Amino acid sequence: MLAQAQEVSVRFGSFTAVRAVNMTVGPGEVVGLLGANGAGKTTLIRVLLGLLRPSAGRARLFGARPSLETRRSVGYVPQTLGLYSDLTVRENWSFAASAFGRAGTRVPADLRPWEDDLVGGLSLGVARRVAFAVALSHEPKLFVLDEPTSGVGPLGAARLWQEIRQAAEQGAGVLVTTHNMEEAEQCDRLYVMVAGRVEAEGAVAEVIGDRTVLEVRCADWMRAYQALDDHGFAVQAHGSVLRVPVPPGERDTVTGLLEHAGMDVTVRVRPAGLEEAFMAILGDGRAAHDPHGAQAGGSAHA
Amino acid sequence: MWAMVTKEFRQLRRDRRTLAMMIVLPVLLLVVFGYAASFNVHEIPTVVVGPGASRAAASLRPPFDVTRVDAGADESAARSDIAHGRAVVALVTRPGTGMSVLLDGTQLFSAQAAQSALARTGALGASAHVTILYNPRLKTSWIMVPGLAGLILAFVGTVITSLGVVRERQAGTLEQLAVMPLRPWDVIIGKIIPYFLVAAADLTAIVVIGRLLFGVPFAGNVGVFALGAMLFLLVTLGMGVLISTVSQNQGQAIQLALMTLLPQILLSGLIFPLSSMAAGVRWISYVLPLTYFVRLSRAVMLKGTSITGLWQPLVLLALLGVAVLGLAVLRFRRDLAPGGGDGDEEPAVRESVTA
Amino acid sequence: MRWGLDGVTVRFGSRVALADVTVPAEPSAVTVVVGGDGAGKSTCLRSLVGLVRPDEGRVSRPPKTRIGYVPATGGLYPDLTVAENLAFAVSSYGVRGADVGAMLDRIGLAGARDRLGGRLSGGMQRKLSVGLALIHGPDLLVLDEPTTGVDPVSRMELWRLVSGAAAGGTAVVVATTYVNEAERGTRAVLLDDGRVLADGSAADIAAGVPGAVGRRRARDGVSPGGEWWRRGAGWRVWSPSGDLPEGTEAVRPDLHDAAIVAALAAERGTGGRSAGAKEE
Repeated sequence: MLAQAQEVSVRFGSFTAVRAVNMTVGPGEVVGLLGANGAGKTTLIRVLLGLLRPSAGRARLFGARPSLETRRSVGYVPQTLGLYSDLTVRENWSFAASAFGRAGTRVPADLRPWEDDLVGGLSLGVARRVAFAVALSHEPKLFVLDEPTSGVGPLGAARLWQEIRQAAEQGAGVLVTTHNMEEAEQCDRLYVMVAGRVEAEGAVAEVIGDRTVLEVRCADWMRAYQALDDHGFAVQAHGSVLRVPVPPGERDTVTGLLEHAGMDVTVRVRPAGLEEAFMAILGDGRAAHDPHGAQAGGSAHA
Repeated sequence: MWAMVTKEFRQLRRDRRTLAMMIVLPVLLLVVFGYAASFNVHEIPTVVVGPGASRAAASLRPPFDVTRVDAGADESAARSDIAHGRAVVALVTRPGTGMSVLLDGTQLFSAQAAQSALARTGALGASAHVTILYNPRLKTSWIMVPGLAGLILAFVGTVITSLGVVRERQAGTLEQLAVMPLRPWDVIIGKIIPYFLVAAADLTAIVVIGRLLFGVPFAGNVGVFALGAMLFLLVTLGMGVLISTVSQNQGQAIQLALMTLLPQILLSGLIFPLSSMAAGVRWISYVLPLTYFVRLSRAVMLKGTSITGLWQPLVLLALLGVAVLGLAVLRFRRDLAPGGGDGDEEPAVRESVTA
Repeated sequence: MRWGLDGVTVRFGSRVALADVTVPAEPSAVTVVVGGDGAGKSTCLRSLVGLVRPDEGRVSRPPKTRIGYVPATGGLYPDLTVAENLAFAVSSYGVRGADVGAMLDRIGLAGARDRLGGRLSGGMQRKLSVGLALIHGPDLLVLDEPTTGVDPVSRMELWRLVSGAAAGGTAVVVATTYVNEAERGTRAVLLDDGRVLADGSAADIAAGVPGAVGRRRARDGVSPGGEWWRRGAGWRVWSPSGDLPEGTEAVRPDLHDAAIVAALAAERGTGGRSAGAKEE
């Protein structure tokens, strides 16, 4: 295992940010850590990187305790990119290269058109590529990324994923923290964190499992939306198609309610998407550990 | 329009820092200018030596404050008292009626006050010969340049350094540094050295320009001056780093840095003589590093005082430096320090703190 | 078209920020403007609400008092409480009989009414901003990246605010960087570098992909022909002619594929400076 958390808990005073989390990142895999803000993702990463000591449990990097030595094999791209915006691409590159004891290497060919540009003046897409290149320059065994493609257009994001996949195919383990479903869907394996706990793990399909939603089609979607909303359903509109996150058993209730109001509707049971599954996991997790604070139907509040 | 006015007042009420500045600053300035900002000297430390010491001393009236009367001592002893800052005025009586007066030209306002008091009272008769030491023409630039050198060091050390560190924190690059294979000391020292060198260059420039433009002398030992400047710079760099560890953004850092600079400008003796400050305010001066550097740099540059005469400011600066820089490094290290990987080593007490 | 941009071009100096962009805003409809950082989304929205004057084309919008607009950052006073923010919006719009309590319930901040705007989580701040823009019941609601950086729970709630407004008859235009949010709208406009790459409903955009899209497993690597990109562990390839390389399996492109193909097609058209998604 490249990175491993064993029963890691982190407490800040009376607040528990991470509760008995187990997770691993192996060579060649892209692992996603999916969770809402405050779910404990960043805290867990800080423990794995050795920036924070856990209150209980163990963190291991390459089989050892995180130390100055293990850092030589870690590449990290925080959400803020970790680049100096008032230095050029080349200057950023050579600073990182020297810090990792690789002074004298050249900026990769695909970034040379921007070599003398200040990082602060680059488009976000290019700046992210620079951050990736800098973090990968010392051929890390573990590559840690915080929302690696946020703010970048679809093609730019695809190119960043190419970099990530290439690193994984060369044997690195990749750990991506995100709350963006598009990024989560690109990962081989996910850990879904809710309130400091890992509530689900596995490939995207495993995380979704056999969860379903009701899909409502109606000529007057606006009226249907308002009717369902009035009845307390956490209905979501996708264009003029409505999706209601309730079990299949509620199909007759939903149909009846709308038909009773004089609407002509088609209601079908559909497999849930990752976002809907995530909301359900969130609702379940909160219901299991904090029965008073949870709401039905996955419409839990932040 | 009323919507705007209400909103503005509500916002003002919440901004404690600005509110504090609006209320505290006028009060502070009032106190400082009332009690400290005075060019009028009420007490001038005076020594009287030579055979006629007792009689001469008896004829002196305030503002002269006779601290020592020594009939056995001669002019060299009097000069030594002035060189070491123990007196601003020295009366040297000679056998017969001869008498000479020595004034410390580095104590601009006291020397001026002594001059006018002597002329006004005519106490010593026309025979007295007055010599102004170190700054014979009592030029303001001569005493301002050594002081300004200290102010520049304080500015670079505190303002520029705190901004440099806060910028890294705000940009998130500090976190990146924390995961690179750099030891916390590499980061701290690496961060401080450039500012140290910039400040040293600034200092050299001021001394050289002071000489060329204003003819300010450099009577003492460059090494002693450099030692004092280095110690003082360590204090100000430490304050800069310390401010950066308690500031979330550059605005806060500047605000805090200015709050440390303002009292130093006003109370260090740079502008207003310490001797004319009220005792309560003067007490504040004694914890400000610039007070000691101003004393030291004037002594070295103008009086040529040797290291043995300056042990007090040097030791105090060193102590302040160790305390401030040490605290700063401890706090800064916490941002960078690796946490190890095991929770097991934590004291068991932590386990039971769960809510 | 009731409101919106019609063939709008905006230049900042010599730079073309928008080139012939059309974005419709119809009552009871949600138009989603999708694009990455620098694609021109903000300029688009700012033109729509009248903060940017277009050099060419036509902009139609309701009177200023009937518009609700939330910029990409800010949109609320961090040093006022939630209730005070809403009260300020009410008095500055001169709304009579506005129900601040009902709006607090609607944006899910009833329990946070006395908290300072700046002390709210990112998601709560965005919900408050949207609440401020909705307080006067606008005919046109314009939201610039309301969901960027917002966590999934708040994102769902924000979209419920959007859908609720549209269901109540408001015309809504939302900008986002997340392609999958294009499915939330009745209509999507994909922007890149100030140009429209594709528009229509999400289904129309996916169905309108020219040529063919195929997939291949990771270990088989890429082969010549077509434009390649990563999708999960595997590969996707687009062939403009419709002839897929050997050893690839044809797939029905989804919105995500369609967005990438549209960007690749535009890049080919303009001879973009990068070597494309394919990597040797």
